[in-house]
Amino acid sequence: MKNLTILVVDDDPVIRRLLQQRLKKGNYDVLVAADGYKAEAILREKHVDVVLTDLMMPGDIGGIEVTEIAKRINSSIEVILITAHSSVDTAVEAMKKGASDYLEKPINFDELFLRLDKIANVQTIYRSAQELQHAMDVTEHAASETIQLIEMKAAELQGLLDEIETILRDEHYSEESRISHALNKISGM
Amino acid sequence: MLKINPSELKFIAQYIYDISGIFLDASKSYLFETRLSSIAEELGCTSYQDLYNKAKRDPKKTIERQIIDAISTNETLFFRDKGPFELLQHKILPEIIDKRTPGSPVLKTSIKIWSAASSTGQELYSIAIVIKELIPDLARYNITLLGTDISDNAVSQASYGKYNKFEIERGLPQKQLQRYFTLFGDSWKIKDEIRAMVNFKKLNLMLPFSALGKFDIIFCRNVAIYFTLPDRKKLFNKIADSLADDGFLVIGSTESLTGVCPRFIPKKHLKSIFYQKKL
Repeated sequence: MKNLTILVVDDDPVIRRLLQQRLKKGNYDVLVAADGYKAEAILREKHVDVVLTDLMMPGDIGGIEVTEIAKRINSSIEVILITAHSSVDTAVEAMKKGASDYLEKPINFDELFLRLDKIANVQTIYRSAQELQHAMDVTEHAASETIQLIEMKAAELQGLLDEIETILRDEHYSEESRISHALNKISGM
Repeated sequence: MLKINPSELKFIAQYIYDISGIFLDASKSYLFETRLSSIAEELGCTSYQDLYNKAKRDPKKTIERQIIDAISTNETLFFRDKGPFELLQHKILPEIIDKRTPGSPVLKTSIKIWSAASSTGQELYSIAIVIKELIPDLARYNITLLGTDISDNAVSQASYGKYNKFEIERGLPQKQLQRYFTLFGDSWKIKDEIRAMVNFKKLNLMLPFSALGKFDIIFCRNVAIYFTLPDRKKLFNKIADSLADDGFLVIGSTESLTGVCPRFIPKKHLKSIFYQKKL
């Protein structure tokens, strides 16, 4: 299983560093951004699996806007919001914009790692489903070419058999001439 | 997940065959468990024997329908492999239109098309889209597009014509998605102009279907593969009865009628095969 790449977006340098260190220790690839603009620049440039963003940040790009930007750039990016406001309303609004989950401050790292594991599992399943689909298409295509060839050949041979039967049953001609006519048909194949 | 034991496997496989004609290999217990365990658990069954007893005793046959929904494979996509739809557009439809167009301009051209295992509707809607794009003056035509499937769920989803992002992204080009579907929350819904062209209803292909009348074009793709050879023979024989003498049959790209139905002969157009009746 490939390591997830996580983009941490938080204006607080202490939390940023803490998240970066803990996630690195947890064997994740980590990128950091101090605000929404820097986050957007990174999202446009690099492959990111999960965005972990603070909900409330100074300036006009907050966590919900980061969610929208991430989803617009690549709809398969998962977003987890970190919020001090444990209100369900904010969380629901974020989920509507495409966030997959939210965590309340102070961050419980066990909980965070569990959620990241879940995302990694789903992504692995999704990737193998896509690979299976592709393998199925390739196999189906190859099989269908072979089957078509056999199908057409079988029909051609059946046609020839029917013709030979007609020739052999045609009593207007002598047996010898019927047989020789039939043999000619076969050698003409 | 509720486990199935070997003795249950035998009679459950027979029961599924009896109600649907679908032949499931009794050596593959996971096939039964992954598809039936949630129904069994929901009904509070302690075993598959229990589920079977409940299904047999259910006078409304609700459980039987649930089992059919769970067992029938609804793997399908819009324009699933391009070949059959190119065939329809470039060969079959032009030929049928040519043959069916009446001498008098006041009369309409009647064409009947059947998608015999329509699943959740993607195939029939794809056919409708091809027709819509090929025929500019649809008012001069009387086109019947019928989709049938054994699963109630599949028929109702097909009739509703709503598909989630994952279902829609597979196979359907962006241009046609934007033109023929409307965004509906997180999903896409087929537009009324296409929806109005088609009809869906429930049908078990194991039972007689001559009452549907004769069709000019029949799509019967990737369903007979779930039947035994004797049932496949019966099915294609009935299909031959239901197809006009100059009609067209399209089957799945990896299916074959050799040794199944001598009444059909294969014909090749570009990279695809279609079948016509031997006359």
